[in-house]
Amino acid sequence: MKWFHTWVGLIVGWVLFFMFLTGTLGYFYQEITRWMEPERPFIEHKISNEALLDIAQAYLIKNAQGVDEWDIMLPNARDQNLRVGWRKPPEPGKKRGKYQQTVLDIKTGDSVESRATGGGRLLYRMHYRLHYLSTKISYWIVGFCSMLMLLAVITGVVIHKKIFTDFFTFRAKKGLLGWLDIHNVLSVIALPFHFMITYSGLLFFLFTYMVLSTNLQMSEDEYSEMRKEIFPRSAHLESVNQPKEMLAISHLYQQVKNTWHTGELNYVEVFAAGDINAQARFVRHETDITYNPEDEVMVSAVTGEIILQKPKEYTVTGMIHNGFFSLHEGHFAGSITRWVYFITGLIGTAMIASGLILWTTKRKPKQLKNPNGPDFGYRLVEQLNIGTIVGLPIAIAMYFYANRLLPLEMANRLNWEANVMFISWATLLLYPAFRPAPKAWYEQLNLAAFVYMALPVVNALTTDKHLLNSISKQDWTLVAFDLTLFAIGSFFAFAAYKYQALTFEKKPIKKVINPRDVIADESLLPLRPMNKENG
Amino acid sequence: MFVLTSLSFSAMVLFCLAMDKHRKQVLEQKVPIIAVRFFRPIAWLILLFTTCLSVKQFGWSIGISVLFGALTVATLLLILLLTYRAKIVPQVAIALSLAASVSFF
Repeated sequence: MKWFHTWVGLIVGWVLFFMFLTGTLGYFYQEITRWMEPERPFIEHKISNEALLDIAQAYLIKNAQGVDEWDIMLPNARDQNLRVGWRKPPEPGKKRGKYQQTVLDIKTGDSVESRATGGGRLLYRMHYRLHYLSTKISYWIVGFCSMLMLLAVITGVVIHKKIFTDFFTFRAKKGLLGWLDIHNVLSVIALPFHFMITYSGLLFFLFTYMVLSTNLQMSEDEYSEMRKEIFPRSAHLESVNQPKEMLAISHLYQQVKNTWHTGELNYVEVFAAGDINAQARFVRHETDITYNPEDEVMVSAVTGEIILQKPKEYTVTGMIHNGFFSLHEGHFAGSITRWVYFITGLIGTAMIASGLILWTTKRKPKQLKNPNGPDFGYRLVEQLNIGTIVGLPIAIAMYFYANRLLPLEMANRLNWEANVMFISWATLLLYPAFRPAPKAWYEQLNLAAFVYMALPVVNALTTDKHLLNSISKQDWTLVAFDLTLFAIGSFFAFAAYKYQALTFEKKPIKKVINPRDVIADESLLPLRPMNKENG
Repeated sequence: MFVLTSLSFSAMVLFCLAMDKHRKQVLEQKVPIIAVRFFRPIAWLILLFTTCLSVKQFGWSIGISVLFGALTVATLLLILLLTYRAKIVPQVAIALSLAASVSFF
């Protein structure tokens, strides 16, 4: 079983590291997009929802004529800007028109043009839709890796014999034991998360992975019936082409406020705008993982009366499916819970990293004794470890740099941001091949520290959305973003410092010791006790 | 959330003090065996109370998941403290519960 855990983990470890890290960043994808679109105005405090709704409605009446579905997204903790969206009328021969969304400047009431950027969405999409590969191939690779991850999680629990007695045990400074402890600790403390995220991740592409069972067992109609059960839609009236002036949305909102007894509002959907059938659905922040019908209120936009809605009908299986999705994505999470998601995601990432490092640490003493130097497999794993565990974070920082530094009018700018990221990663994967492993670790850790600490500075030089301005405007999302970058940089700097202290300072001592002692010393290295303890 | 994390932290500290090897790390003076026997039941009671609190605040579905998050963060903090600053664990536990009860009212 132990053998199984080791090799399952090793085969897909690096892909899983990539998926976990980009997926973890996905919990903040709106915040990342906000940072990557510095043209958007600062947060506006002290503006009522009614005023915002009026601004949005005025813009939509002027700019979205002949469109009968509007969305108004109000500023919230994650995205401080007012947004509107609408679906354009379908082009001839097409079923649905293109959906368009824009940020509004509250002061002028006009839309804001932002630079072309993939934003946080592109980054988080990578974790299941591997950037350059086709959708189908990515889903299969991701599914394969997740399946092995699930196996690794289960076998990990089985082979961890002292899950309770070692619950709090972390013996730092003890080499191999330390790495084993850290791998165990990181796995155990977030075990519910690891299991949930892997299992629900597999559910996402259920119909890709289990295509045979759906294809063979049901007809086209039954399939669409089943999808309706899993993703029920709530009904709304269609336009009947009888123009009628709507009431102000802010006026309709008063009714909703009375129903909810709170002043919160997440977004508004308007159906059949400007028609006699016009309705507006007001939606507040989710209060349940699965579905709470009370989070939505439908109001007639012509008469201003609340329309009682039949709640969406979920079957039990549909509810479970939906619950797992929501748990995976953390839609319900407020800002603190979102940070907890982020931290547990990082714990998962670090768990994978520690497992990979454990593989090399365990084989190191034996490999170093090898007369011809470490063999190819060992060197490859070490190289991939350095290039991924430190290289990928650097590559992500390069994605942010590309956003700030690439010329604004560049063709294919959006693609090039991602290209810069992957080119940097490829370089950093190759680099350790030409350097001794300890040097490569140390240099890349230093590079990571530098790129993250310099990002807020580059941000300050290239935009007006820098730390000083965002503090004075009390735009806490932007402040937190810059400070987080700086914190990550400091973390890498600390890691580099520690690495140097632990690796390089030992060397001179070793040289002084005579060869016999070295051998005696190496036999004391934790390889043997470790084998006994964890069999 | 802060209250939940602090309570989980206290529960975890008690679990940890119920084990001989960790008690020696954290406390210098000897604790009577009778008192140690009570650590684990009390920790479970605190956990139960935290669960109730979380469910009451967030509802059944979100409450349970948030509780797991709080437990994870609290345990991570405790393990780091145990490794690097074992002696201040009791102080942190007391300070956190005080801060939590202040923010609660």
